[in-house]
Amino acid sequence: MSATLTITTDEWRYWLRSKLALAVVALFVVILVGVSALTNLRIEAEAHEREHHQEVSEETFLDQPDRHPHRMVHYGHYVFRAPMPLAIFDPGLDAITGQTLFLEGHRQNSATFSASASSADLGGLSWLTPALMYQLFAPLLVILLGHGAIVREREAGTLPALLAQGLTGRRLVAGKLLALALFVTLLLVPVLISGVIALSAGERVLAAASLLGVYLVYLLIWVALTLLVSTLAENRATAIAVLAAAWLALTLVLPAAAVNTTTQTAPLAGKIETELTMLTEIRDLGDGHDVDDSVYNDVQASLLAEYGAASIEELDINIRGVLAQKAEADLTETLNVYADRRMAAEMRQSDRVSAHGWLTPTLAVAVASRTLAGTDLFHYHRFLRQAEALRINFVQGLNRAHAEALSYTDDINRNRDEASWERARIDASNWQVLDSFQYESASASDRVAGAQWSIAMLAAWIAVLTLLLAWAGGRLKP
Amino acid sequence: MLQSEVWFLLRDRAFRVWVLVVLLFSGFAVWSGLAEVAQQRQSIAFLVDADSTDRTSEFSAQGDWGSAAYYSFHLTYDPPSDFAFAAMGQRDASSWKHRLRMLALEGQIYEHDPGNPELALIGRFDFAFFAAFVLPLVLIFLLHDLKAGERTAGRFNLLVASAGNDNRLWWTRSLLRAIGVLIAAVGPLLVGGVVSGTSAASLLGATAMVTAYVLFWTVVCLWLGSRQHPASVILASLIGVWVLLGTLLPAGGRVIIDRLVSVPSGADILMTQREAVNDAWDLPVADTMAPFVARHPEWTGYTHTGDGFDWGWYYAFQQVGDQTTESLSAAYRKGRARRDQLAAWFAIAAPPALLERWLQKLAGTNVEAVLDYEESVRAFHAELRAFYYPGLFGDAAFDPARIDDLPQFSSSE
Amino acid sequence: MTTTVKLEADALQVYRSDKEVLSGISFSLSSSEVYALLGGNGAGKSTTLLSFLGFLPAAGGRVLVNGKDVSADHKAARAAIAYLPEAASLYEHLNAFENLRYFLQLAGRSEDSPALEAALDRVSLAPASRARRLKDYSKGMRQKVAIALAILRDTDILLLDEPTSGLDPSAIDEFHDLIRDLADTGKTILMVTHDVYGACQVADRIGLLRGGKLVGEFSAPTDGRIETETVHRAFSGRTVDTQLAV
Repeated sequence: MSATLTITTDEWRYWLRSKLALAVVALFVVILVGVSALTNLRIEAEAHEREHHQEVSEETFLDQPDRHPHRMVHYGHYVFRAPMPLAIFDPGLDAITGQTLFLEGHRQNSATFSASASSADLGGLSWLTPALMYQLFAPLLVILLGHGAIVREREAGTLPALLAQGLTGRRLVAGKLLALALFVTLLLVPVLISGVIALSAGERVLAAASLLGVYLVYLLIWVALTLLVSTLAENRATAIAVLAAAWLALTLVLPAAAVNTTTQTAPLAGKIETELTMLTEIRDLGDGHDVDDSVYNDVQASLLAEYGAASIEELDINIRGVLAQKAEADLTETLNVYADRRMAAEMRQSDRVSAHGWLTPTLAVAVASRTLAGTDLFHYHRFLRQAEALRINFVQGLNRAHAEALSYTDDINRNRDEASWERARIDASNWQVLDSFQYESASASDRVAGAQWSIAMLAAWIAVLTLLLAWAGGRLKP
Repeated sequence: MLQSEVWFLLRDRAFRVWVLVVLLFSGFAVWSGLAEVAQQRQSIAFLVDADSTDRTSEFSAQGDWGSAAYYSFHLTYDPPSDFAFAAMGQRDASSWKHRLRMLALEGQIYEHDPGNPELALIGRFDFAFFAAFVLPLVLIFLLHDLKAGERTAGRFNLLVASAGNDNRLWWTRSLLRAIGVLIAAVGPLLVGGVVSGTSAASLLGATAMVTAYVLFWTVVCLWLGSRQHPASVILASLIGVWVLLGTLLPAGGRVIIDRLVSVPSGADILMTQREAVNDAWDLPVADTMAPFVARHPEWTGYTHTGDGFDWGWYYAFQQVGDQTTESLSAAYRKGRARRDQLAAWFAIAAPPALLERWLQKLAGTNVEAVLDYEESVRAFHAELRAFYYPGLFGDAAFDPARIDDLPQFSSSE
Repeated sequence: MTTTVKLEADALQVYRSDKEVLSGISFSLSSSEVYALLGGNGAGKSTTLLSFLGFLPAAGGRVLVNGKDVSADHKAARAAIAYLPEAASLYEHLNAFENLRYFLQLAGRSEDSPALEAALDRVSLAPASRARRLKDYSKGMRQKVAIALAILRDTDILLLDEPTSGLDPSAIDEFHDLIRDLADTGKTILMVTHDVYGACQVADRIGLLRGGKLVGEFSAPTDGRIETETVHRAFSGRTVDTQLAV
């Protein structure tokens, strides 16, 4: 063991004496801190703004005067997607997806106004986040520091001397591995800090710790890969060239190429395309605004039977409200079928892209990171679903009030004159059916479970590389 | 010297491998770009067809102008240009198709029909990304140790002593390698261009841009590679330059520009518009008609029929809703355009961003193109209003046959 | 044959990374002369050669090739000189012919195959191995190809840095004969070496370099070679500059 530690200490001493290594690491840390601070500020500002908008939107809805209930159904409500606590580290889809969703009766709108749509366009890599710094650039640091670890000894002729001391190849490799592992662990301190900040914002320890864990494994994969190449290469120039090429392929090319193949093998029909079919289906459902719509004959008959009334005017409740509820429920069922289909298709695409994590750990860690942070597609869909739940809840609440608090006679005579118009209103206290919107992420354990495949991919990568490294260390000869 | 260097280069295994890799990358990028464009064209063709069928059946089923306008949807779209296969740009994140009605435009134009956001986040491997980010790295790998490698191998002095003029030797070697990489990169683009019938001007322009870009990186490699450092140090510095120009500067620039130029929040636009449209139901009719008539004096004579619902009044408050958000919405457009202009200037300092923007401009997939498309949607919506208003506010009788006179959206292409 | 001064160092002073490596050395070579610079590690031997090629600027004094100052036109100097670097390595992925042809083309010359064969014959590289890539060569074989290259350059002046390193004894003897032949055809040859015996075998004159200074010079008698013992004693520091005037 002490031999291993000696190697480790020696490697650290070597780095500390290398101006290049110190400069590059210092630069990385400075940039990382800068990017972290900026992302933190941005997300906090966004959170603040969206929270504020949410409050204003709710107050405005509740402050509406006495009105015809169906007017409130069309008046609608806005919800805003609040960023997740860990978005300060990995904002994920936050900038790409719409932040504002308008909820109203009879429709499911899409979320609009993404940050990326209005931002200055400066190329594909300009959305720099702390997560991206680790996914793309931390491996470069590992390569820079580690590529010479073994091959350097070979080039300088110190390798035979070391092995002649009775040190085994595996010991030597283990010592270097420990040195680099220590380095990447220290490199993760900023993730730890982001995690602690997120904890104070309500994040769970399990999620933050898992996030730290996947990045540690990811960087260890690069450590193992770097040492493997350093052990097998004949000289430093070859080692760094091979590693740089591997970096290019694994971090830049493969993830983007996975997107290309996925869009072609699992294309996603546009929303307009599917809506065309949906609209035809919806038209067959009947118009809830129209009491005489033949679609509702059954409802009308059973209501009359239930209340023992001869005509709809004699009913204790307003049939227009009842029909509005029925129509909204039917419509929503259809809308949800299409929405679910759309989300399922999107998830299929995402899963297909994620499967490329077997080919590149960068994709695996990126997917795991978004999932754990709650900034992935699943959570975006979750937002849409929670918003939809809120929508159907307040719309049906208003429809119920329509049925129970407004008489049928007043209702149908509303357009007769000014006074009738005034009479066809219900009390503003009915607007309280609107629940306060609080977007909630999946539980930490669900998120970990959601990331299980990506975590398995990372585990497979580290396992295979460790085996290869043990083999390469074993055959290390002067 | 040229001839022998060409001969020499063809025997360089690393060079052959990298040229092959570049050829594969570029070919893959171009091929999937072409496939994507074909998919988008197919989707547009389907939509144009389905949209027209749907409108025909809806329009003819109506009995008055108001319902006809209410139930008729109209497709607008921005078809991919003949060069879009090379640079998908904003088409992955912004909408290039809408289906509109005569209702308030502000409530519709921001509706999105985006692809999968997760895919947009990772980004597509299109030719622009390949050329801007991957190509320089390949050049760096190939060129960083031209000198350092010869030094390590102990051939440096002999080479220079033999050649007499060392500058010419290294320039020849660098440029020949760069040309090889350039041909492998641009070749598939030109083939793709011919296949999809791209205009010669676009292809020539793109080739010129990529050539200039490759030359830039060749000079950088030659300049840093001339330092008497080990190859690994030179490689590390060159990758550092790549990171700086490709990500750090653009990321910084984006933050600064977004800070400098503020755009109204989308929520404000939507809420203002929605309030205006919704409040109108409870406001006296005159409150709506006054601002409407101010904009459209030709309908001054219009009178609201009855106390209850009236289509003219309904569409009037839709328009007034748009009018109240005009300044916000204009500021939103102007802000985006201004940010884009600043980004164009800033990109001069960050060549990878510059090349991507150039290619996207050629491909008509940049922010400017998105704003132009939005403008054409607005213009089309105005045409719709011009078509329906005589029926709604004048005394033109409804005639289902008038469907043939409906404005047709024609894409700018 | 008229004797003209082909190479001349005049109070040459050279610094490498702020360290004075040559402190004012002066010597000159005429055509048909073989001059050996003899010295230990770090004496400044290779530096002297690199100065003649214009790789290192003279901080003081001058270096002249064919009577022209190298600092004024290093291209002309390099064109007039065939240079054999220390432990010369050529391209390992090319065979002997390809290497020769490539380096000659760099120098703006092209030679037909018989000429290449003839040169390889002169350095006695086994014909069977000539079409094999250099990565399969021994150190001595590579050195032979490098020497063949120097011959093929067909310049008036040859600068050889440790030319016999890696060669076996019989190859060294053949090489010495080759040098003498070349000198007899009018070539001017400056070689640096730390091999006292070899230098005495082949050189008309020997300069003894120590710490960047020329501390001794030996000339061969008209009909014989320089005496090894004398030089050896001087080289290992056992005599003072008694021989300087010889």
